[in-house]
Amino acid sequence: MFMFKNKIGGIMIKLILKKLSITFIAISFTIISSVASAEITITWPSIWVGKDSKTTVIGELIDEFNAANAGSIKVVVEEQTDYDIYAQKLTAQIATGELPDIMTVGAQLLDVLHRSGKAMDLAPHINSDPHWNNVYPENALQSAMTDGVLSALPYELFVTPVTYNKKILKEAGYDKFPDNYDDFFKMCEAITANGKVCTSQMTGKNGWTSMLWYSQALASAGGPDIYEKGLDDPAYVKAFEVMEKMYQYTTSDAIGADAGVSGGHFLNERTAVFMNGPWFIARYTSDGIPGLHENIGVAAAPMLMGGEGSPGGYVGGRQSSLAAGKQSDPAKEAAIVKFLKWLTIPENVARLSYSSGAMFIVNADLPNDMDRLFIEMKQGISDAPYVAPIFQNGIGSLAVASEFPQALSALALGDVTPEGAVEMLQDAE
Amino acid sequence: MKIKKDEVGWLLLFIAPTLILFALFFILPILFLLASSFTNWDGIDAEFVGFENYIKLFNKKSFIRAITNNLYWCITAAIITVPLALIIALLLSHRSRGWKVFRTVLFVPQVVSSAAIAMLWAAVFNAEYGLLNFILDNIGLSDYKNHNWLGNVRTANAALIGFSLCYVGYFMVIMLAKTASISEDYYDAANIDGASQIQKDLYITAPIIKSTFFLCVILAVIFNLRQFEYVYLMTAGGPANKTQVLVVYIWNELTVQRLGRGSAAGVIMIALGAMLLLLLRRLLKSETYN
Repeated sequence: MFMFKNKIGGIMIKLILKKLSITFIAISFTIISSVASAEITITWPSIWVGKDSKTTVIGELIDEFNAANAGSIKVVVEEQTDYDIYAQKLTAQIATGELPDIMTVGAQLLDVLHRSGKAMDLAPHINSDPHWNNVYPENALQSAMTDGVLSALPYELFVTPVTYNKKILKEAGYDKFPDNYDDFFKMCEAITANGKVCTSQMTGKNGWTSMLWYSQALASAGGPDIYEKGLDDPAYVKAFEVMEKMYQYTTSDAIGADAGVSGGHFLNERTAVFMNGPWFIARYTSDGIPGLHENIGVAAAPMLMGGEGSPGGYVGGRQSSLAAGKQSDPAKEAAIVKFLKWLTIPENVARLSYSSGAMFIVNADLPNDMDRLFIEMKQGISDAPYVAPIFQNGIGSLAVASEFPQALSALALGDVTPEGAVEMLQDAE
Repeated sequence: MKIKKDEVGWLLLFIAPTLILFALFFILPILFLLASSFTNWDGIDAEFVGFENYIKLFNKKSFIRAITNNLYWCITAAIITVPLALIIALLLSHRSRGWKVFRTVLFVPQVVSSAAIAMLWAAVFNAEYGLLNFILDNIGLSDYKNHNWLGNVRTANAALIGFSLCYVGYFMVIMLAKTASISEDYYDAANIDGASQIQKDLYITAPIIKSTFFLCVILAVIFNLRQFEYVYLMTAGGPANKTQVLVVYIWNELTVQRLGRGSAAGVIMIALGAMLLLLLRRLLKSETYN
């Protein structure tokens, strides 16, 4: 009996082992064949989605790239609709070393990204293939390197001139945008008397629109090299004096408002003057009230009398750069580089620029029928004596930049004086 | 109950998984937090800086404001939210007509995303097109026509806390559940004695659910010490840092890559929480709710 049971048991074990071996071999073959033919997936948490003016063409470019590389590379977008949350997420990812495959990096994070050593060094790819040297202006890439390492590819440029509603200004008796703040505030007074609101402002999130105004006033008061002088320079107080007055001529919801609210007022002709980058041009047509685009004028920001800046001076600089997380798989690295090259092909950049109004560093032949506002802004840049950095990028401290909206709201509410607002910035260090 | 010697091994074996998980996900992170609070860790490099982070924090007005605001949230929860929940629970415990509808309506905010509710309330409070200003304007309070509730130093905290009252349903449900367990005999006896409804509420229901009320107070204090999403989504600590709370402050420190200082703020928050709990246990006499 015992012998019989042993025999049955032996057969059963053999059968099981046989089945297991077949299964193991089958699984191994499946894995090997799937690895051999694996499609490389590139993940891109992108801010150019949703209402962003670059959404459509970026989507088209990704689809075309995926179609051209079907079966070998696939770019997958993770939609990130909030720019600030995206920057915060990226900051955390840099700290934890879990960088996405591709990312769009704002100028304020470039230094941290480089220091982390977690980004893919793109410098070797510049030397191995002439593509980027051919499409970028001379020295544009070299100047973006730190110690010979290129952690991010400079991509989007921006300037932030004033955009104003000619119709509202005309109703207030103004045919031309004032070139100094004394006249500017007189104009605001006239616009207010006419039942409209002069400027769109905001203190929510990073205080973007107001921060651009502050940057303009700062460069006007202290010159384009103001950030080298430190927060003790009186220009910082003078610029806050301008902002204090600016908040007397803004909407009642400006304190705490975000970019959507602030831009929305201008798009709906509730405010006469607005400041943002060229990427907003497409939205004047897509989201503005009918006829808004035709009524918009572009001008350099007003000057502070007796300041060290020059008339026609702009603020702006590098906006988004393209970066990639360091890869251990050379095939994936090559796939990422291939996609980055695709994004920097001049024809593709021209498409992006044409559809959104955004400006790019890559040399691209733009169509002759580019948006009037884009052409005026481009002209403004070529005429500008300087393009100074914006406060958020120039100040060189994430903590100070992050305290700016709080200092500004304290100033606007009369909680602190302009000197007190600067002290709040100094205290944030 | 005495534990026998030969049972100790088994006991340890059974509680080991819990202990290991507790150590891994609670004790270790706290130790890491404590260690990093003495460094200038920015996510990339770290150097030992002693008590510098703590000194800087206590010299910062915005940090002191965050602590004060957290205490303000906790006190408001203890003296307004939970007592309000008690009153509603007592009223609903009468099982009057439609009580289930009220109970459900009051509990709905608990099952809806707090982010969605915060966005909704931010719109209600909006200065230009908010519902609140529209109503106030229409009942003759035209001074509030364009009042920026969340953007005004005087009203931002009050508006936030007012909004948080919509979460009263959570505590109400806990206390209501306790009222359901009270024996009907008490009320029958009170009815024979001719007690009014208020007398029954005050002298029977309230004393019996006292321990649950204290538990709710403790829960409310803990929840409000960890206050984050409403403040972050509706004011982000502004205007002028006036609505700043500890967790938003810590979050801000992390986003500007001052992880060491953020850790120090976290340690202070844990210490503050521990002190508050000890104080509450003493005030509410722990034996009544344990």
